[in-house]
Amino acid sequence: MRPPGRGKERTAVTDTGDKRQRLTEFIVAGQADFYRLAYSYVKDRDTALDVVQESIVKALSKSDTLREPAYVKTWFYRILINECMNWHRYRRRVLPMEELPESPGGSERDHEARLDLYDAIERLEEKERTIIRLRFFEDMKLEEIARITGTNLNTVKSRLYKSLKRLKEWTGEEETP
Amino acid sequence: MKEKEAWEKARERYESAEIPEELSGVVSAALREGTRQQASRRAVRRGWGAALAACACFCLLVNVNPAFASAVAEVPVLGGLARIFTAERYQRRDRDHLIDVRLPALADTGNTDLEQRINLEIKKRIDDVLDEAEERARETREAYVETGGTEEEFIPIIIDVDYEVKCSDGRYLSFLIWKTETLASAYTELYAYNLDLTVGKELTLRDILGPDFQSRADAVIRSEMDRREREEGAVYFRADRDGDSFQGIGADQKFYLNDRGEPVVLFEKYEIAPGSMGIQEFTIPLSQ
Repeated sequence: MRPPGRGKERTAVTDTGDKRQRLTEFIVAGQADFYRLAYSYVKDRDTALDVVQESIVKALSKSDTLREPAYVKTWFYRILINECMNWHRYRRRVLPMEELPESPGGSERDHEARLDLYDAIERLEEKERTIIRLRFFEDMKLEEIARITGTNLNTVKSRLYKSLKRLKEWTGEEETP
Repeated sequence: MKEKEAWEKARERYESAEIPEELSGVVSAALREGTRQQASRRAVRRGWGAALAACACFCLLVNVNPAFASAVAEVPVLGGLARIFTAERYQRRDRDHLIDVRLPALADTGNTDLEQRINLEIKKRIDDVLDEAEERARETREAYVETGGTEEEFIPIIIDVDYEVKCSDGRYLSFLIWKTETLASAYTELYAYNLDLTVGKELTLRDILGPDFQSRADAVIRSEMDRREREEGAVYFRADRDGDSFQGIGADQKFYLNDRGEPVVLFEKYEIAPGSMGIQEFTIPLSQ
């Protein structure tokens, strides 16, 4: 921690060092969160470790693209989520369709059994699922989610409301006696 | 009320993912690797500044002073950096690709044949790699769209080609070229070049360590693996654990020379350890 007011005296070099220091601290402190989030995408222990590892290497080796140290959190999560989605896309490509979770829509509306909320979240589209996870499991602000996903705040909001509505339908909340 | 409970339950389930005990080891190894990669990029860039400045003075002196020109011709070590340079810088940013290439080439090694052969090989190798990658990017995008993804949401393929000079003295020139393609996880492919400029050939581990290079290297690697497992929480594929064990180095195992001229044996991701361990390096000391 630097005393405030000394900021202006910093040279470019200590700035970079500072930035890296900050990034490293952030990563060390948040590793369990990163792992859980990665796991929720890839559903496999080794793959999740792999994704976390790749994200960290990438973040550090490209730390000069982090302009504003205050945004370290959203900047890093953006890298992490990109890595997660890349895996997801890869699965989609290499695994036969049967092994993938059914896509939402149509058929299960007829199902008698209501879905558990967690399972319902799994059925959302990828972008919606990301917003739900970040908002409700990682406690992020909508502004942060917008920065992480590279979308504007209104889009995040409308996707969030749409997903909540769908979740409600699938879990059958209104029907509870 | 009911809804709140449901969310709490979902969150519990999310948080119930067990944290593997090697996570912190993986994280610290990744931090080291990332820092190393960034430092080497910066070092190379700084190196270029100095090399360019040196070149400028050099031309000047050669022009004004024929005696100086003939004098430098006899200094074999001159400008270790000047022997390898970025021949091509290529960037492409469009819907399907984010490509960033820095392609090295050799010059002034004093051995034109070797130089031309290596330069051609590098160029060809990287061109092929890029062609393949573009083909893959196209296929992936088509598959993505066919399986219901929209084109706008497609994440471009990221390809980085870069190099790093590991050793450059009067005799040896050792450098690595790596290609990282981020499609699924990032996958890095390495190409190692180790040249002995005095004899104008590519070096093998046998040349450096002698005929028993395999057993020598294996012994060092095994004991270092033990140490890393003990002290750094590293994990390797070992016979007693996964049935997928370290069988010793191959006859053409990749390596580079460090700045002390010692061979550093490389194992690519997944070769001897889970992917999360990344690329593994082992320095083999020269004879005791």
